[in-house]
Amino acid sequence: MHTLMAWRNIWRNPRRTLVILTAVVIGVWSMIFLGALMRGLTNQYLEIGISTLTGHIQVHHQDFRSDPVIQNRIDRPGRVAEALEPLLPPGSHWTERIRVNAIANTARHAQGVTLVGIDPEREARVSFIGGAVKEGNYLEPDDPYGILVGKALAEDFETRLDRRVVLMSLGVDGKVASRAFRIRGIFRAETEATEKQYMFVTMAAARDMLGLERGVTEAAVLLPSHELTGKTAEALERRLPTPPLAVQTWRDLLPLVRVTIELYDTFIFLWFLVVFIAMAFGIVNTLLMAVFERVREFGLLKALGMRPRGIVQGVLTESFFLLLLGTAAGNALGVLSVNLLAESGIDLSALAGRLAEVGMRRVGYPQLQAGGFRLANVVVFVLGIVVSLYPAVKAARFTPVEALAHT
Amino acid sequence: MKSFTTQMAWRNVWRNPRRSVLTMASVAFAGLILIFMLSWQFGSYDTMINSAVSIHTGHLQVQAEGYHDKRRIGQVVERPDAVAKVVERTKGVDTYTTRASAFSLVSSEDRTYAALVVGIDPEREPAVSTLESLVRKGSFLAPDDGYQALIGRLLARNLKVDVGDEIVLLGQGRDGSIAASAVRVKGVFESGQDEFDRSTVQIPMAAFQEVYAMRGGVHELVVVCESLDSVPAVKQRLASTLPGVEKGLVVLDWKELMPGLVQSIQMDLISGFIFYVILILVVAFSILNTFLMAIFERKKEFGVLLALGSTPGRISRMILAECGVMTGLGIAAGVVLGAAVTLYFEAHGIAFSGAEEILRQFGLPERMYPELSLLSATVGAGVVLLITSFAVIYPALRVLRLRPVDAISTIQ
Amino acid sequence: METQSIVSLSDVTKTYRQGRVQITALDGVSLEVPQGDFLALAGPSGSGKTTLLNLIGGLDRADSGSIRLNGNDLGAMSESELAGMRLEQVGFVFQSYNLIPVLSAEENVEYVMLLQGVAARERREKARAILDDVGLEGMYDRRPAELSGGQQQRVAVARAVVSGPSIVLADEPTANLDSATGRALMDMMRSMNEAKGVTFVFSTHDRMVMDYAGRLIRIRDGRVAGDERREGEAES
Repeated sequence: MHTLMAWRNIWRNPRRTLVILTAVVIGVWSMIFLGALMRGLTNQYLEIGISTLTGHIQVHHQDFRSDPVIQNRIDRPGRVAEALEPLLPPGSHWTERIRVNAIANTARHAQGVTLVGIDPEREARVSFIGGAVKEGNYLEPDDPYGILVGKALAEDFETRLDRRVVLMSLGVDGKVASRAFRIRGIFRAETEATEKQYMFVTMAAARDMLGLERGVTEAAVLLPSHELTGKTAEALERRLPTPPLAVQTWRDLLPLVRVTIELYDTFIFLWFLVVFIAMAFGIVNTLLMAVFERVREFGLLKALGMRPRGIVQGVLTESFFLLLLGTAAGNALGVLSVNLLAESGIDLSALAGRLAEVGMRRVGYPQLQAGGFRLANVVVFVLGIVVSLYPAVKAARFTPVEALAHT
Repeated sequence: MKSFTTQMAWRNVWRNPRRSVLTMASVAFAGLILIFMLSWQFGSYDTMINSAVSIHTGHLQVQAEGYHDKRRIGQVVERPDAVAKVVERTKGVDTYTTRASAFSLVSSEDRTYAALVVGIDPEREPAVSTLESLVRKGSFLAPDDGYQALIGRLLARNLKVDVGDEIVLLGQGRDGSIAASAVRVKGVFESGQDEFDRSTVQIPMAAFQEVYAMRGGVHELVVVCESLDSVPAVKQRLASTLPGVEKGLVVLDWKELMPGLVQSIQMDLISGFIFYVILILVVAFSILNTFLMAIFERKKEFGVLLALGSTPGRISRMILAECGVMTGLGIAAGVVLGAAVTLYFEAHGIAFSGAEEILRQFGLPERMYPELSLLSATVGAGVVLLITSFAVIYPALRVLRLRPVDAISTIQ
Repeated sequence: METQSIVSLSDVTKTYRQGRVQITALDGVSLEVPQGDFLALAGPSGSGKTTLLNLIGGLDRADSGSIRLNGNDLGAMSESELAGMRLEQVGFVFQSYNLIPVLSAEENVEYVMLLQGVAARERREKARAILDDVGLEGMYDRRPAELSGGQQQRVAVARAVVSGPSIVLADEPTANLDSATGRALMDMMRSMNEAKGVTFVFSTHDRMVMDYAGRLIRIRDGRVAGDERREGEAES
């Protein structure tokens, strides 16, 4: 009965209800849509970071990160495999790499690069390189002289497929080791920096060049979902001899990505609050209008014996319906617009042509996430009811006499 | 006559003080947020630009045409002294320095890394860049230092060297010969930007020119102007005078030297605006109800006014004045509050705990200071005014459609 | 002694649509109101009195028939001409909600003169004089909320006559007043009629008010059901 009254009350002035609903709908929509867009951007940022030779978990020699040379290597990779394989959840992939700093030379150019020796088959399942070769071919598993270079680097070096590149690096013996490679493929990456930084050769070629019998510098694991990272890393840590080995997750390996995501999360939350406050002024004002128009009615209800609590409840129920309708429509619009754009994405290149330089893609794909969704609705609903207490209490305070005298 | 309408409008605003105050407060809130956020954005851009300009590029650089893209050691400014004279005489130039750089292998006793070896003018460099203040260990270069070097902190760590140790540079000279030399580490610098700290070695220009067989040439003549605003004018002046000194030179400004920075600023600005527009739209609809109520609950009153011979146009102007007063007061309050909040944080700064890392990479300090400016205040107020005025116009138009009998029929 | 008609209606009809129902408010009304009349329109509510007043005042338009005010055909006027006509030639007094709440008594009276373009000093003097006439001296600065119902109606009458209209239209002016206050208001209107020759047309269903009228027209179901001139004064 009271619910029905509240429902009818909000439709007594449909125009006013629709106007305030519009404000709530725009607010909720913007929370969901922009939240999803930002989430999409940070997730892409994370995906790119993880696929650019990071993975979710890496195992290194404990000194490798501060002194990335071949001397700080995992000498017996078999032990890592033993420890790792039983732990991996289904759908996981992992691979081993030799990653060293090197200098790439052609006749006219030289540049510092990161030389990565890979197991081509396993690597393809873990990092971006498997699908990134746009000219020429991917590496064959035992190609002794093939190398993959990035498009941007090839341009800088004014070189192309089948040309020679000489790589120099510090060998196992502490002396400069060098080897000539032939460009088998040219790859593209999300960022030019990646294209300029990495060169890929086979594991065998890398070992041969560096004078290494066995051993790798890292093992990288790609898990089926980000959430499994912490648990798997902990379990792995218990099964490996640490030290001399060290287990790191993407959160340690990509501190910038981690901090960016945290920053975005904080920003989204603040944004929700700001939009909500803007909405709250409208909600309170609209409810106040509705309440003051009905002073006589509240007087009558009181005269009929209704308690103040009942009146508070009545007004809050009206607010509840407003919020319910507003959030429902806002959510629907939000989901709709996210779904519409989730496939095609939003081309941000119009805004900034070289976003790639800061490590983000040119196209933003909004992504709904339960967390952001819940947060938006909880913020609007809970705080919405809280601010509605003001008009509700106001209504309950009218005394019957003054209410009935009111014209 | 005008004052009468205005007076009526003013009194009407205060007929329902609670409602009007809430309405104005929501406009003020939008104004406050906008002014603060814009001051914040503009402030951080200034910091970003200034720090990038002062660590890396300067405001302008004179280079050989094509050097910026190709970075070949042979693309040089042949007569730096003559060019410098012209630069020095150009109006708006504060100071300048010369730099040259070459990609090289840098080796310590048991490590070798690739790095960019930069020749700097130890006397002039401190006036142009912050490099001197970034030295954490040892000391900055002096003019007569000969074969000594400054080295980035991460590179020093990777090479396992410290102040006093010797490193070997191995590269290619301008003439294609092998350039090799041993230099002693005199200082270690730390900019916080990993890329820079991992891959740069600075040596005195004289040593650089000798090692890399530069034959007196340099790669960049880095110019600092009196202010950021004077850059375009200086650029133009230099572009017209330089060909008289040496052919084949170009003048590039910081935007051309760091296109990525300009684009991230644009991106940030535009995404900021999307957020602001949405926020103000929410506010506009929030206040639209107040304005509409101001009409619908006063139909009777308008009926009387119409019966007295007033016209809908006149009533509409009154409504416009009423809503305008509320928006105007709201915006004014927003500007005052926004300025106050901004000034507070301008004095105290805002610390981003946990985000220092990311800020450092962009050359930003860990405490950030918004910067209140005429621009941020007026743009903020202007955007709020623009969007809320739609909420003002709608009710005023509604009143124009008011017919006397409709209004009057509610009287009885 | 026959004077020129200020208002002349011939065969005026007006229908409203209320939902799906057509309501005939006026059904062929013809009427002449000469200068100086103190005329009461009497009839039960819904009989068409208010519609008739609205049409005469140019607040609404007739469906057919013609309405002339001072010889001008209202049907041929644009909305803004009607507004000008109301300003110069017609004064209104309503049952309630008569005054602009944000204006003081004096400003309410001044408002009409302001629209007419009267200079500020003259406005002030005239407004105060007429407020004195209706017995409100010293209450110039009160807002409507600070005046009693009777006082508010006096301000309304003052405002209606101050512009020097040819006719004052009053829709149930005493309906919200107690009878003593109502009589006082009627006395005042009557004396304005007699002293200044202002023509009054008012609607009422109050017998006391009818007794004041110099002419009584009875309206029933949108038609004129009776028209009598009376010499009788109210016994107070």
